[in-house]
Amino acid sequence: MPKMWKNLKHYLKKEKLMSISQFLVMTVTFLLLGIFIEVVAVSQTMLKYLEDQTQITVFFKDDFGEDKIFPFKDSLATDPRVLEVNYISKERALEIFKETNKDEPVLLESVSASILPASLEIKTKKISDLEPLANELQGKEGVEEVRFYKDVVDRFRSTSNTVYIIGFVLVAIFFVVSYSIIISSLRNVINSRGQELEIMKLVGASDSYVKNPFIYQGVFFSLISSVAASLIILLIGLGEDKSGVFSEGLSLGFLSHVFINPMIFSLILSFILILSGFLLGYFGSNAAVKKYLKY
Amino acid sequence: MSQIEFKNVTKEYIPGIKVLDDVSFSIEKGEFVFIIGPSGAGKSTLVKLLLREEHPESGEIFFEGRNIAEITPDEMPDYRRKIGVVFQDYKLLDSKTVYDNVAISLEVVNADEQDIKRIVPNVLSLVGLLDHASYKPEELSGGEKQRVSIARALAHEPDVLIADEATGMIDPDSSDEIVEILEKINSLGTTVIMATHDQRIVDRLTKRVIKIQKGKLVSDKEGGKYRA
Repeated sequence: MPKMWKNLKHYLKKEKLMSISQFLVMTVTFLLLGIFIEVVAVSQTMLKYLEDQTQITVFFKDDFGEDKIFPFKDSLATDPRVLEVNYISKERALEIFKETNKDEPVLLESVSASILPASLEIKTKKISDLEPLANELQGKEGVEEVRFYKDVVDRFRSTSNTVYIIGFVLVAIFFVVSYSIIISSLRNVINSRGQELEIMKLVGASDSYVKNPFIYQGVFFSLISSVAASLIILLIGLGEDKSGVFSEGLSLGFLSHVFINPMIFSLILSFILILSGFLLGYFGSNAAVKKYLKY
Repeated sequence: MSQIEFKNVTKEYIPGIKVLDDVSFSIEKGEFVFIIGPSGAGKSTLVKLLLREEHPESGEIFFEGRNIAEITPDEMPDYRRKIGVVFQDYKLLDSKTVYDNVAISLEVVNADEQDIKRIVPNVLSLVGLLDHASYKPEELSGGEKQRVSIARALAHEPDVLIADEATGMIDPDSSDEIVEILEKINSLGTTVIMATHDQRIVDRLTKRVIKIQKGKLVSDKEGGKYRA
C-alpha cells in the first residue's frame, strides 16, 4: 500500500494537468449518470402524479336531471375499470368557478349556476382504460360533452422518453470518454516508465508487482471522481428532502406504487455511482495494462 | 543433467531467414563459457531465447532439466530470478541512485527491508562500488555503470549470470575489471555465460568458447581462442 501511494503521489506531482482533467471529466461522467437517474425518477414521479390526476369529465345536458344522473353514476361505479366517480352539481360547479376566478369580479357577475353544466368526474384504475371508457360515454343519453386530457399525459410521456434517450446517450458517451481517458493516461505512464518496467520484468518481478500500481491508479481516479459526484448527488437529495417537493417520495418506474424518500434515494444512487466508479476504473486500467504492458 | 541445454534450436524473426540454425550445446553448472561471433551472428538471440523473451521456431531449451517452453506465466518471475543478466547498455534507471538501482531487483520480489539493507551493500562491495552507493548513474564511468548492472544481477543470487556484450561500450581497462569480477563470481559457483566479440578478453581467459557464425554453431572448444 505505501508503494501504491508513493507511485500515485509521483504521478499526481508529475502530471498535474492530466490528473485534473482526468478527475474533472470522470466526475462529470458520474454526475451525468447520477443526474440522469435522478431525472428518470423525478419524471416517473411526475408522470405518476399526472396519471393520478387524469380523469374523464362527463358534462350533462341541462334537461338531464339528477334523477337520471345518479343512476348513471351508480352504474358507472360498478364498472370494474372505474376507481372513483364524483358528482359535481351545478351549484358545486359554480363554487369551483368562483374559486378559480376570484380575481375577476366582472366575469363572476355574469355567471350563475344555471348556465354551468352538472358533471361526473371519473378516475380509472388504469390510465389505459381512460380512452375506451371516454369513447363509450360519448354517445350515452343525456351526455353533452366528454373531456379527458389524454394529450397532456401522452406529451409528458413522450417528453420523458426523449429525456431518457438523450440522458442514456450522454452517459454512454461520457463513459466511453472516461474509459478512453483512463486507458490513455495509463498508456502515457507505461510509456514514460518503459525502461523501468522492462528492468523490473528482467530481474524477475511478478506480473502483479508490475501491473498492480497501474490498476490502483485507474481505480483511484475513478473512485475519487465517483465519490465527488456522489457528494453532489447527496446534496441534491438533501435539497429535495428539505424542500418537501416530493413529500410522498420519488417513484421508481419499474416498481409501481413504491415511493422512496429523496435522501434515501440519493444514498442508493451514490452507492451505485461509487460501484460504477470502481468497476470503470478496474476494467479500464486492466484493459490499458493488457494493451500496453507487453508481458 | 546439464544446467542448460539447447537441442536443435532454430530461430527465425522473418520467415525463411534463420538467425539461429539447428544449434545444440549444453552447459554444466559452474562453467564459464564465452559465446562469440561477429555482430549479427545470433549471440543476443541466444540470450533472449534462454531468458524466454523469444521462442524458437523449432528445437528445445532445457534449464536444470526442465523444458523452458513449459514454464507457465506464473512461474516466469521465479525462472528469471535464477538467471542474472548484464546488458551492453547497462539498463540502469537514471533517476535512481546506485543503491536503489540494485535494490530494485529485491524490491520486485517483495524482499524484507532488512534483507535489502544487508544484501545491497554486500553486492556493491563485491563489485567495488560500496563508496558510490549514493551516486546517480550519470556520475559514473561506463565501467562503473556496468559494475552496478552486475551488482543488480547478483542481488538475488542467480544460478547463472549472462553478460551480453557487457564490455562492448567500455574501455579495455574497465573491461578487464568487469571480466575479473565475472571470474570472481564464477569462482563462487555461479555459471557465467559471456556473449562477446572482444577477442582480447576471450584469448586472455582461455575458457570454453562456443562460436556462432551466421546462426550456426561452428565450434565449441574448451580453452578456446577467438580465432581458433
